[in-house]
Amino acid sequence: MSRTPQRAARATTAMAALGIAAVTLTACGPAVGSTGADAAAETDWSAVEPAESISFWTNHPGGSQAIEQELVDSFTEETGIEVEIVTAGANYEEVSQRFQTAQTSGDVGDLVVMSDATWFTNHVNGSLLPVDDVFAAAGGDSSTYNTTLFDDYLYEDAHYAVPYARSTTIYYYNADHYAEAGIAEAPTTWEEVAENSQALIDAGVTETAFSFPPAEDYPAWMMNNIVWGYGGGWSDEWDASAVTSDETVAAVQFAQDAVQDGWANVSSGSPADDFAAGATSQFIGSTGSLGGVTETAGFEVGVAMLPGGPVEQELVVPTGGAGIAISSASTPEEQLAAAMLADHLTSAEHTVTFSSQTGYVPVRSDADASALYAENPNFRVAVEQLETRTRTQDYLRVFLPGGDLALATALQRILTTDADVAESLASLQTELEGLYENDLRPQLEG
Amino acid sequence: MPTTNPHRSRRRRRDALVFLAFAGPNLLLIAAFIYYPLLSNLFYSTLNWRMGSTRATNAGFDNYVRLFTSPAGAEMWRVTITFTVVTVLASMVLGLLVALALNHRVPGVTAGRTAIFAPYVLSGVGVGMVWNFIFDPQLGVLGHVLRTLGARSPEWYLDGDLALVMVMIVYVWKNLGFCAVVFLAGLQSIPKDLMEAARIDRAGALRRFFRVTLPLLSPTVFFLTVTTILSSMQAFDILKIMTPSGNGTNTIVFELYLQGFGPYQNAGYAAAISVVLFVVLFAITAFQMRYVEKRVHYA
Repeated sequence: MSRTPQRAARATTAMAALGIAAVTLTACGPAVGSTGADAAAETDWSAVEPAESISFWTNHPGGSQAIEQELVDSFTEETGIEVEIVTAGANYEEVSQRFQTAQTSGDVGDLVVMSDATWFTNHVNGSLLPVDDVFAAAGGDSSTYNTTLFDDYLYEDAHYAVPYARSTTIYYYNADHYAEAGIAEAPTTWEEVAENSQALIDAGVTETAFSFPPAEDYPAWMMNNIVWGYGGGWSDEWDASAVTSDETVAAVQFAQDAVQDGWANVSSGSPADDFAAGATSQFIGSTGSLGGVTETAGFEVGVAMLPGGPVEQELVVPTGGAGIAISSASTPEEQLAAAMLADHLTSAEHTVTFSSQTGYVPVRSDADASALYAENPNFRVAVEQLETRTRTQDYLRVFLPGGDLALATALQRILTTDADVAESLASLQTELEGLYENDLRPQLEG
Repeated sequence: MPTTNPHRSRRRRRDALVFLAFAGPNLLLIAAFIYYPLLSNLFYSTLNWRMGSTRATNAGFDNYVRLFTSPAGAEMWRVTITFTVVTVLASMVLGLLVALALNHRVPGVTAGRTAIFAPYVLSGVGVGMVWNFIFDPQLGVLGHVLRTLGARSPEWYLDGDLALVMVMIVYVWKNLGFCAVVFLAGLQSIPKDLMEAARIDRAGALRRFFRVTLPLLSPTVFFLTVTTILSSMQAFDILKIMTPSGNGTNTIVFELYLQGFGPYQNAGYAAAISVVLFVVLFAITAFQMRYVEKRVHYA
């Protein structure tokens, strides 16, 4: 055989191998060239019977393993539908990661816990079913959900989850320190926070009167309150220019001044732990920490509604926590059964049971929370605040992948150094816009 | 026309079948779990793709351009190089000193060797959690000791540079034992008559170390240089536990995690980072094998 035919044979073999490799790679990977999610196929829910068994993926938020099992058992008893509870991660992010990677195999949970900061990405990936129709088909009444909590999952006229383990931020103070310093009442404005803090330090009862959270502990969530109080925000829908508005700059400047004036610090770990250990006198934290802090602290824990700012006094409370969403990869039968389970877990009666075991707030407006108040009077503040002062969060913090981390990193840098606030926020705006343009907008508009 | 021996031909076929029977399953597994993911990853690195999404757009070389031109990419390289150089040098220098100290027959030396090696076999996650209790400025042991001495604890977690120093200290502490034990084995393999001869020639301790011990340790140094560089560049567990969001500690592997599986969820960009990591590690190892090994003295 001559060399030329040998070369030709080798070239043919190489081309064939490359072709096979290319076909194999593209066959198993994502479909290239399209970004938009398929239009959800219309399902005639009246013709669908619920599945006999489904799976529920959860991280057992707030240590809820036992109460989740109890509620699921009562669901099975009522409906005959078997539910496999899967511990799908140690936190919301891990559940979302597992849900995302499982999309390739299709072996995903039918009902899945999704936090306020993880559901949107899964929606953009086309992995979540809009819940409005299926929830109604399952006999659920979504009108009794707290409107703010339910609308946290609203995007373009459809809801993608129902509220489940939901929280808000709340103002914690050391009541013993307050009494020792002769402070009669919790602050209602940030100006009063500064006054109370200075009084605590002047009275010598504490070295650190107030703690901001570090980058690891969601400072942008907590600081929504102060920024909204000053009339600013982290974004106006997808527009990041709000982060450099005069109002936002003034709010962040106030926080930086608080640290530099010495009445506040940035906690190295968790402000809740520092507070419970008596190392700081006040902090803003999740209502989910209420039970743990009250139990751990060796002093009387006081809680109050979040303070208002010079511009906005009422709608200054961000919501948080997680909802439960239905997988679009499940069969209609499984989706219907999952919606029935979602309604059961979040019914007016069960949401109170869940709250009493975890510290999350009841998610239904018709829930009777009097038992909760009897058990822990501080809970009344959390629930009243939820009903009157909450608002949905800014898009770029909760919907933009990496948005919260960019905000957290920038805020920590500003609060722990003498960085120029306006310049730092301008740099942050550029970063947020870059993330949106590169990583999200093509998918939203595809 | 060449003639073929039918016996020889049959034997070749039989040998080929035997080879396939023994090596085939392994080759298949290697192809499925090494080469297929490698090629897939190369393909994914050219996509703008979010993990879990069934759709993606073609990004060409954009992910690579971003890695080498963006400020975040530059910061990642700075942190990676700093972390690798410092931890490799510190692990090897301190490991050699510890090995020299433990290379004596004195009471308790076995316990000392065990103690120095023990951190290496511990889980990185556990090590990170324990050291978190030590470094916490408010509630940690170190902060308490410093306050007792009238000093304030540095803010290890709030300052990116200090956070990098902190994780490097912990990483070196954990991996020092490995270097020490390997150096110890190297020291014990040096022929005693060479050291005797150097003593007879009145060579001092320093001279014996630099002229006899160190050159004869060069195979060990070479081995440790290759393994510790590869290990440092792939460090992850301690960094993730002690600084979950990568504030100042985002080495290339940690950045890969943050981009692919963490808050950014940009699987295409993460794939590009891993391709570059593969090329860098391959190049470093090839360079060491090709050039550095020539300077090694085998006794």
